[in-house]
Amino acid sequence: MSNRKTTALLAGLALIAALSGCASASESGSDVKDDAGKGVTKIGFIMVGPKDDYGYNQAVYEGSQALKADFPDVEILTAENVPEDDTAATTMEQMISKGAKLIFATSYGHLDAAVKVAEKHPDVIVLQQGNTITTDVPPNMGTYFGTVYEPMYLAGIAAGASTKSDKLGYVYAFPIPQTIANINAFERGARSVNPDVETITAATGSWCDPSAQKDKAAALLKAGADVLTQHQDCTATVINTAKEAGAMTVGYHADASALTPDLWLTGAVWNWGPLYKQLVQKVIDGTFVGSEFNANYRVGFKTGTNPFVLAPYGPLVSDDTKAKIEAAKAFLATPDGSPFVGPLKDNKGKEQVAAGVVPTYAENDAMDYFVDGVIGSVK
Amino acid sequence: MTTLIEPPTSPVEAAPRKRVPAITGAGAQRALLVTARWVGAFAGALALFGILLMIKGANPLDAYAAMFRLAFGQQTSIDEIFIRMAPLVLGALAVAVPARAGLTNVGGEGQIIIGGVAACGATRLLGEDLPGGVLIIGMLLAAVLAGALWAGIAAALRLFAGVNEAISTLLLNFVALNVLLYLIYQSWRESPTGQPATAELVDGAKLPLLTASSRINVGIVIALVLTVLVAVVLTRTRWGFQVSVAGGNAEAARRAGLNVPKLVLSALMIGGALAGVAGMIIFAGTEYKLRDSFGYQIGYTAFLVCWLARQRPFPILLGAFLMATLSVAKDSLQLDSQIPGYAIYVLTALILMAVLGFTTPRKAKV
Repeated sequence: MSNRKTTALLAGLALIAALSGCASASESGSDVKDDAGKGVTKIGFIMVGPKDDYGYNQAVYEGSQALKADFPDVEILTAENVPEDDTAATTMEQMISKGAKLIFATSYGHLDAAVKVAEKHPDVIVLQQGNTITTDVPPNMGTYFGTVYEPMYLAGIAAGASTKSDKLGYVYAFPIPQTIANINAFERGARSVNPDVETITAATGSWCDPSAQKDKAAALLKAGADVLTQHQDCTATVINTAKEAGAMTVGYHADASALTPDLWLTGAVWNWGPLYKQLVQKVIDGTFVGSEFNANYRVGFKTGTNPFVLAPYGPLVSDDTKAKIEAAKAFLATPDGSPFVGPLKDNKGKEQVAAGVVPTYAENDAMDYFVDGVIGSVK
Repeated sequence: MTTLIEPPTSPVEAAPRKRVPAITGAGAQRALLVTARWVGAFAGALALFGILLMIKGANPLDAYAAMFRLAFGQQTSIDEIFIRMAPLVLGALAVAVPARAGLTNVGGEGQIIIGGVAACGATRLLGEDLPGGVLIIGMLLAAVLAGALWAGIAAALRLFAGVNEAISTLLLNFVALNVLLYLIYQSWRESPTGQPATAELVDGAKLPLLTASSRINVGIVIALVLTVLVAVVLTRTRWGFQVSVAGGNAEAARRAGLNVPKLVLSALMIGGALAGVAGMIIFAGTEYKLRDSFGYQIGYTAFLVCWLARQRPFPILLGAFLMATLSVAKDSLQLDSQIPGYAIYVLTALILMAVLGFTTPRKAKV
């Protein structure tokens, strides 16, 4: 008996000793040199999903491979299926141990791990795609992204001009600001050419759940939508469901016109190559620290190199519509151009942007309401 | 324990003392044989996977050497192995304890999630102003309790409704995941515009590191201590013996006067508590936040670890070390050999099948 008690006591003591043997988890605040990353010869890319998903991650992979042509002496390391948690830091560490001085952490949820790695390695530049650093941006970090809702606005014009039922369907995952801005821009684009058009929304609660996608797409078609679009990571299911019902498609992430050649209108897709090239060149030159990229860098049609572009048109889009889209694209590129120029009401009738006001990219990145004409709720 | 029939003279009580194995020449020889079979099976799995690597155009020897270098060639990787080992050990013990009572606990995944949720909930409830040590103890207790209760649901379903616990624990994993998702998308969400996740744990409540220079947190120490404790409880206590009797032949146990339902309930709940601690270690030791990928696959991997170790506590340490090493080394396949990252799961499956197939005792010997 006493033997057992002693064991338990010892175990308990060991536990307490372990817990109180505190060494604090503080980082050493090493200095980042002004030319950090200069002459980089190895670049690492981590992706959250498979590099051949016909979507977000494939676009990243293709962008990374495009760098090989511009920088033949630079080695590109890629790792797919890297989760959005602390294990991502290990993968980045391993790339750094292999000599990488520039890391692209390409999924929204990779930010925490990216910040941790950047703090530990002042000689390495860490770039994060899509998220925003809300504190001071560390000198060896930056985030970058395109303005995804701009091409969605243009695609909305194609949808608004093509619909016969005046009802568009939008399958999305979660009401995060990026998605809300997409849906709103799509409806605004459609409205600009068709004052009666509505966009009906349906949330799947997942970035890629084909059975939920099929259900929601079917429900939108039943509600009368004859054009479907989406904000999902994997896009084939919604497109195929639309095709079977004879409905038109506006694509997302990647050109999927091959799936529905006759009913494909257009899409909003990634072309990362040119922006990656700019970023890498800046780091190679040793001028990254303090540059425009050493920040939450957002690029849109105003600056001319939005990595999110309009996909090729399908046969149903008329020349007249194409001309309207070109005009809208030119408008978005002007200083006062935006899909959300006031007056702008939300779908409950409340004014969100006053007449004549042009909201900034930052304001659009924090959208939390659906505009007039969108059927659905952000809650 | 009071329900036990006349403890002093009962053979049930007397037996454990005789079962303590003596370290004899024969015992050592058997241990050596088991180890040899284990190593042989492991080598076989590596050879099979090597063929696969060759088909994919990689040199298997180079690939394995690169994996080894990545896992053991630098301090950060070695640290990471021990960091990832801790929850695997606890998750495997969470399978091993109920297995003694003849129960299959496939619910480690969900119990780990609930443990993490409870740890996070405890800090929210207690507030961030308390000293870190108090918060850590609070998180630990909450995780133990929540894990035990979560597994207790499955135990109750078995006792009162006759639901097989392999099914109920597995299905409860999905319930646990949805509880987590609900919390991080709704009431516990840090920012409505950001990634769905809770706010970061305050610095003081993060698990302390073993040494200032390493990244290893005390999770591995907790795991080691609990491994010893579980081994002692299973082999040296009355409860441990009764549980294994109930697991071996429930009817015989009942006739010997053991309270089998109570043993079933306690074994599964202790398993859940151990998994809950694993969840707490992941939350307070590495992740510091609840995210939608919290504890992803750790419960299932730990289940494999337990089977690799044949439900014995100390071999679990070896199995967990192996799986943690593989998970740290797996990026080498992508970075050095241009093999897709998912290939590591093929290797894991090969190892499991080889070890189970090659080391299963012949029926006649059982």
